[in-house]
Amino acid sequence: MTNPVAGVAIRAIASAVPTRVARTMDYDYLSPEERARFQKATGIAERHIVHAGQCASDLCIASALRALEHLGWEPDSISALILITQTADQPVPATSISIQHKLGLPQSCIAFDVNLGCSSYPYGLAIVSSMMLTLGIPRALLLIGDVSSLTCAVHDKSAWPLFGDAGSATALELDEQASPMFFDLMSDGAGKDAIIIPRGGLASRRPPGDGPVEQETDRDGVTRRPDQLILRGADIFGFAISKVPPSIQRVMEAANTSAELIDFLVLHQANKMINDTIAKKTGFSGDKVPSSLDRYGNTSSASIPVTLCANAEHFSVKQSSTLLCGFGVGLSWASALVSLEPGTVIPGIESDHVY
Amino acid sequence: MNIEEFIEKFAFAIEADPASLAPETNYKQLPQWDSLNTLSIIAMTDADYGITLSGQAINDARTIADLWAVVSGKAQA
Repeated sequence: MTNPVAGVAIRAIASAVPTRVARTMDYDYLSPEERARFQKATGIAERHIVHAGQCASDLCIASALRALEHLGWEPDSISALILITQTADQPVPATSISIQHKLGLPQSCIAFDVNLGCSSYPYGLAIVSSMMLTLGIPRALLLIGDVSSLTCAVHDKSAWPLFGDAGSATALELDEQASPMFFDLMSDGAGKDAIIIPRGGLASRRPPGDGPVEQETDRDGVTRRPDQLILRGADIFGFAISKVPPSIQRVMEAANTSAELIDFLVLHQANKMINDTIAKKTGFSGDKVPSSLDRYGNTSSASIPVTLCANAEHFSVKQSSTLLCGFGVGLSWASALVSLEPGTVIPGIESDHVY
Repeated sequence: MNIEEFIEKFAFAIEADPASLAPETNYKQLPQWDSLNTLSIIAMTDADYGITLSGQAINDARTIADLWAVVSGKAQA
């Protein structure tokens, strides 16, 4: 368990999805009965997916502009920009540095990328807030997003109908009065094959430029290009329901609080079965656990801000003690307990803009 | 904790009639079996027996009795 971080406030949370909608009931690779069953079990009715050419960075920039506008912050007041994504614009250089330029942030702004998936939000808050305190950074942007639709084979029933595309921006500011944030940050590389894009990196010894890309049939029976995502749902399910509840318990213990005293539990939007199980095991009633699965699906790294923004009205009335918990690819999982002032969470926007 | 009880819970998890299942039932050959049933079985053993089964374990076992042997073995460990 890490130390709490006191002295950094979350000022604004914005998120953006593309306008194009893909509905479970229109998915060609499932029969009508299977579609209904899939929708009931996962809770996913539709997702938003990008048109060719739009990147995770574009959705993050749209979110960042919305957050800056909401706060009335000038771009030159931002001294750090951290992007967390697994679908960067290109392997090199880091996409965050391009975004620094596109947003008109000063050259004195720190910018780097972090490679994490569904656990990004609590990890990102820990990274940015601790860095702000240590280095004395007055204002920072945490951008998180993925375009998972571009990584999955369309015929892959175990992945394609789950994922939606989204980006987000969280604006943070040094503030001595801010409530402390509590974190629980976990990793288990033994589970790396549970969600993986096996080729394209250097460990596979088959970089993509090294001859033609050939289709391969995995042990799950699905044929994919080796640079497409494999998701072993059953293994993730077992991991999530056994490892995530103790992380939520630990962060509550560290803050000396309990499910009864916390206003909201915002979980990574994996699927309805997982999230219902986690909420039940940690003692959170359904009305405290907002969801965005029905309209946006599993939005990967952006799922927590997307869910906050999709339920912005719940966060507009009073200060909310909110437990945020992400889990998945890595394996990596993390929880954060934060306090959100009313008006911090901005309703989600739609954008097809390419910056 | 016995196999009759396990079969009842198994049937409830996959929305089948308990009378249609027996210890020797090859569950992956059931007409309604699919990957979502795998998740339902993992959720059931987690909730009712405190055991996290892997997807591989459910795939490797053939009959309900085979799977019960895994669950009861882990529960005693």
